[in-house]
Amino acid sequence: MNFDDTAAANAVRQQAEDAALAALVDQYAGALYRVAFSVLRNAADAEDAVQEAFLRVLRHRDQLNEVRDHRVWLIRIVWNIVLDRKRRAKTRPETDDVAELARVLPSNGLSAEQVASAAQHHGQVLACVEQLPVKEREVLMLSAFDELSSVEIASVLGITESSVRSRLFRARNLMAGMLNHARGKTRDLEPSGRTAETAAAAEEEGR
Amino acid sequence: MSITPQNSYGRSGEGIDRAGTGEDTLRLIARLPAPDGLEERVRVALRAAPRHGRVLAWPVALRADAAWVRATAAAAIVMVVAGGGWSVYSHIQPWQPAKANAVPARVGTMGEFSGAGAVRSPQTLQPPVVSAPPKSAGLYPSQKKRHKKAAAATVLTGTLAPAAK
Repeated sequence: MNFDDTAAANAVRQQAEDAALAALVDQYAGALYRVAFSVLRNAADAEDAVQEAFLRVLRHRDQLNEVRDHRVWLIRIVWNIVLDRKRRAKTRPETDDVAELARVLPSNGLSAEQVASAAQHHGQVLACVEQLPVKEREVLMLSAFDELSSVEIASVLGITESSVRSRLFRARNLMAGMLNHARGKTRDLEPSGRTAETAAAAEEEGR
Repeated sequence: MSITPQNSYGRSGEGIDRAGTGEDTLRLIARLPAPDGLEERVRVALRAAPRHGRVLAWPVALRADAAWVRATAAAAIVMVVAGGGWSVYSHIQPWQPAKANAVPARVGTMGEFSGAGAVRSPQTLQPPVVSAPPKSAGLYPSQKKRHKKAAAATVLTGTLAPAAK
């Protein structure tokens, strides 16, 4: 085989791989970003994770033809990346998450007070999610993506579908318990707050 | 990308009030749109990434009919590897069995005392033979007097005994 023929064939192959990769970026970058953001809760970090995922795909582009389901494969890559990043960035204060969430979440037609209250509620939910055992937490977070079926979640996590269902059931039970407990605490605090306010008002009236 | 709901198990609820599990928050986050221009930025990053591993160029371009050079180089590499292996193999001493047998320390059972690891060594040499000292030699003066008295008493008892009878 002539050297020129080999070079031409390589160039053609590379062009085909580039086109396939560009198509993957167009099709799945958004979904990967949302998966990354759901874990990292930081826009810049999530975008970095998406870029890193596609760079890994670029490095292993020879295997693209062997992949059966590109979507699940890509989500699995970005999932591993974000979990690794989250493990390394444990030192970041949790208040950043809530602030970032309040900035990012939609607030159409809501007053500033309502937005702040919603962000606080979401922060409380996310704090409870963080307290879940790892296995249950992962399934619960992936189940929030409407486009992922239980089979696909099982494929991303490398477990069986029945495990996904049982873990999801446990996660929901645990979340319900934790949120009820948290709400009970909030209710317990409210009357004392009111009493303090009433006492302050009475004091002012007395003056 | 359009969202097509697939996970019907999430909608069924499975007997748990999903609103009370905080899943709405997770779904809200999962539906957040990706920032504008994300795809373009990813494509730029992919274009900027190195595509191939760095390969050192061969200093002299080989001609197509110079196959014998490759064969010679391959043979030389094989020779070097084989020679190295043989030199290592020839320097290794074969394993030799130990000449002394290790005797395990006897451990007392049933409440016996153990030997504390002491090993009895057999007497393989002739013990030194010491000649018997002379009767009075080697005694101190006080011992000599005592010796004489004892001898005299023996003589007296020997003489008196028949008279008593």
